[in-house]
Amino acid sequence: MAEFLQHLVNALVLGGTYALLGIGLTLIFGIMRIVNFTHGELFAFGAYFVYLFAMLLGFNFFIAFAIAVVGGCLLGAAIEFILLRPLRGADIETTMLVTIGAWIIMQNTELLVWGGVAKAITTPFPETPLVIGAISVSPLRVFVLVIALVLIGGTYALIHRTKLGMGMRATFQDSETAELMGLNIRGIYTATFSIGSGLAAAAGALLGPVFLAAPTMGDLASLKAFAIVILGGLGNITGATIGGFLLAIIEELGAGYISSGYRDAMGFLIIIAVLLVKPTGLFARAERIG
Amino acid sequence: MLEIRDLVCSYGKVMALKGVSLSVAKGQLVALIGANGAGKTTTLRAISGLLKPRSGQITFNGHDITQAPARKVLSLGIACCPEGRRVFPHLTVKENLEMGCYLRTNRVEITKDMDKIFEQFPRLAERRAQEAGTLSGGEQQMLAIGRALMSRPTLVLFDEPSLGLAPNLVERTFEIIKNIRDLGTTVLMVEQNALAALEMCDHAYLLESGSLALEGSGRQLLDDPHVREAYLGG
Repeated sequence: MAEFLQHLVNALVLGGTYALLGIGLTLIFGIMRIVNFTHGELFAFGAYFVYLFAMLLGFNFFIAFAIAVVGGCLLGAAIEFILLRPLRGADIETTMLVTIGAWIIMQNTELLVWGGVAKAITTPFPETPLVIGAISVSPLRVFVLVIALVLIGGTYALIHRTKLGMGMRATFQDSETAELMGLNIRGIYTATFSIGSGLAAAAGALLGPVFLAAPTMGDLASLKAFAIVILGGLGNITGATIGGFLLAIIEELGAGYISSGYRDAMGFLIIIAVLLVKPTGLFARAERIG
Repeated sequence: MLEIRDLVCSYGKVMALKGVSLSVAKGQLVALIGANGAGKTTTLRAISGLLKPRSGQITFNGHDITQAPARKVLSLGIACCPEGRRVFPHLTVKENLEMGCYLRTNRVEITKDMDKIFEQFPRLAERRAQEAGTLSGGEQQMLAIGRALMSRPTLVLFDEPSLGLAPNLVERTFEIIKNIRDLGTTVLMVEQNALAALEMCDHAYLLESGSLALEGSGRQLLDDPHVREAYLGG
């Protein structure tokens, strides 16, 4: 039982960041209909930015984290502005190929800049774990979970409580009528891609210190983000949140009780199962954002 | 108020409008009638900035809006109530109205206008927190009209307002549109229900295959043998 609870706690920490990844990707797909393969690289970017600012430039860890998130938003906006905006109205395959190209370029740039050896990021949190009964969790992981939950809540508030969020939902439901209402659809798209990218960078910036920053870390992150979005239903933020935690629980229990070597495979087995049984995702209502 | 000269629009190689000229005077209710595919909706799309015309000119109160984007057209005072109502199904009634005044910023004035809409359409007030997709067709039409009025337009474009509504609601909708005109807002209405449109309008244009076939007062078109034959069932 104690072991099971320990696995659940670990899953909770991982799940928060998975949810961030999934929400970011589902927003971009839901509103812009873009299958975004750069998502994982934004995740890696977040981790490396924390490394750059905290480890190399000596900034305070928390400030480095904030810079990484803002940097992710800006990088996302730049990608949208330069690569995707000229392709508006193009086939989904065309934009997909472009994001695949961007993914390869970004990953190789990381390899060039940072080298192939993974980087460790140290944090101001004490190494001694907090022990509650039979469960132990490091203060860093508590921080990761809390920040992830705050960002998830913030994204919900943005989508449901702000004028920009209302515009995003309206654009998702009927972009032409949204345009008739005077919305700057291009601006909405840039904002969406920027927010989605910022969430991916935040996930990377949170997990970088827990694990390591490595140039290929984005690949698995992308795949997992797609898995989470498929689990939750395309464009469904609540689904992506639940999907993120669900994937983490499946991985954690699979690794703990079946085989740790198959940790990353567990999620994908579930995805295949979901696609076979309920291809619209586990939590799909009618397609919608919100 | 609105002047259209030699408007040519196409979808790819298909010519939808082959040089249409028409004008809408301030305070009038102008009807644009014609069969399916005659170019009525295309005309409205070109005015509202959703479709870039090939050639020709559209001016509104002296501003050239031929190539203007939708937000510019709206900010000059032209609102559109699109075909099929097109309310945002998963936004609430209140949010739909707020979408109608997305460009406005004065909260006090917005609240005042929204209260007016709710006063006029009590059904919407009752359902303000409900998703618009759960409303009946008639309620959605009221919402789409209210949404268009939220931008405080001086000209409202109606695209097939009676389409898909039960007969009693059709009448109600036309009453509302006449009322909008009577309160001083100019109306340009596209309508397949030629009889009703001609009876209520001040001026009418008949489109056939992308060209203007006839224009005149509603009465004149009602009495025209060709109109009677082709659009009013003889």
